[in-house]
Amino acid sequence: MFGRKNRSILIAGCGRLGGSIAGALSEQGYKVTVIDNDEESFRKLPPAFSGFQIVGDATDLDVLVKAGIKDTDILMATANRDNVNLMIAQIGSVIYEVKQVYLRLYDMEKQKLVEGLNIHPIFPAKLSIEEFERLSAIDIKEDVL
Amino acid sequence: MKIVIAEGKTKADFLIGSLLKKKHTLMVINEDRAFCNYLAQTHKIPIFHGDSSKLYTLEDAKIEGYDILIALSAYDSDNLAICQAAKRLFHIKKTIAIVSNPKNVDVFKTLGVNTAVSATYLLTQIIEQASTVDILLHTVSIEHNKLMLTELLMDEHCPYEYHQLQEIPLPDRTLISCVLRGNDMLSPQKELLLLPNDKLIFLSPPSAQDSIISIMTGGKPK
Repeated sequence: MFGRKNRSILIAGCGRLGGSIAGALSEQGYKVTVIDNDEESFRKLPPAFSGFQIVGDATDLDVLVKAGIKDTDILMATANRDNVNLMIAQIGSVIYEVKQVYLRLYDMEKQKLVEGLNIHPIFPAKLSIEEFERLSAIDIKEDVL
Repeated sequence: MKIVIAEGKTKADFLIGSLLKKKHTLMVINEDRAFCNYLAQTHKIPIFHGDSSKLYTLEDAKIEGYDILIALSAYDSDNLAICQAAKRLFHIKKTIAIVSNPKNVDVFKTLGVNTAVSATYLLTQIIEQASTVDILLHTVSIEHNKLMLTELLMDEHCPYEYHQLQEIPLPDRTLISCVLRGNDMLSPQKELLLLPNDKLIFLSPPSAQDSIISIMTGGKPK
């Protein structure tokens, strides 16, 4: 618990997912930085949010550096477009050697593009199917996914 | 060569025209249905309608076996995904992308795209090269910067006016590929007498360009 206070997370894309994680981790004491190209998006952050907000294109190296990508422990790519998230995650993992990189992917097939890299994809579709299975007690075969 | 052209509008249209003239085999993949229809009416080439950054599109379009893929989307991130998919999953050896953000030229190379082209990046290079000296008319790098074409004007400061071409002490691996006089193109004979306002075209490694300019402006070779 104590170590958390020193950990930093960089979140690219302040939508519902990025904004919620940013708000929650900020309250837990993480050093949080959020990037979004639309300033309005930051309204999704809770009033108690004490992290940094950067307006800019999160695929731009200068914006990422300004947001502290060189020192961040965790990078999370939660922009709306899969290809943008793939690019941000790869820049973080390959160019800036961020240790923990997560990205949201709507299209599960695209995980093939980051296979072999230390990047963890999160699939909303897959999670929803699993939740459906849990709620309905209906099994959906893995190979459908 | 067999070339896939993914996305793009005006650039794609122009490129298709010029590559067809050079007898390349082309395939076009484009997300915009209206543009696909236009291309189908204009060129006799296979056209596949779909989002090129979706893996199933590339699979359905059967791009495997093509030599080169060129990605021309206005979004850099789309072009990266298209090139990476083409290379890793469909084994296309050479991928080329247009990028809007000049900083992405290096990013793309690091992430496995063979060539990334940015208009702003090129423009910056040209301006840097052109601002070197007034007599420098044109300079073009070819073969990924391994070779430079340099066009220099003979002005009154040039020490080789009314001298024979062979008197110019050329740096290593440098040659004069031709001399332009008015509308004439003269072959670079050793005895050719150089006149004011001749334009000389040099072919050299990039490292020799400074020396060439220096020699032609009366300085010493660097």
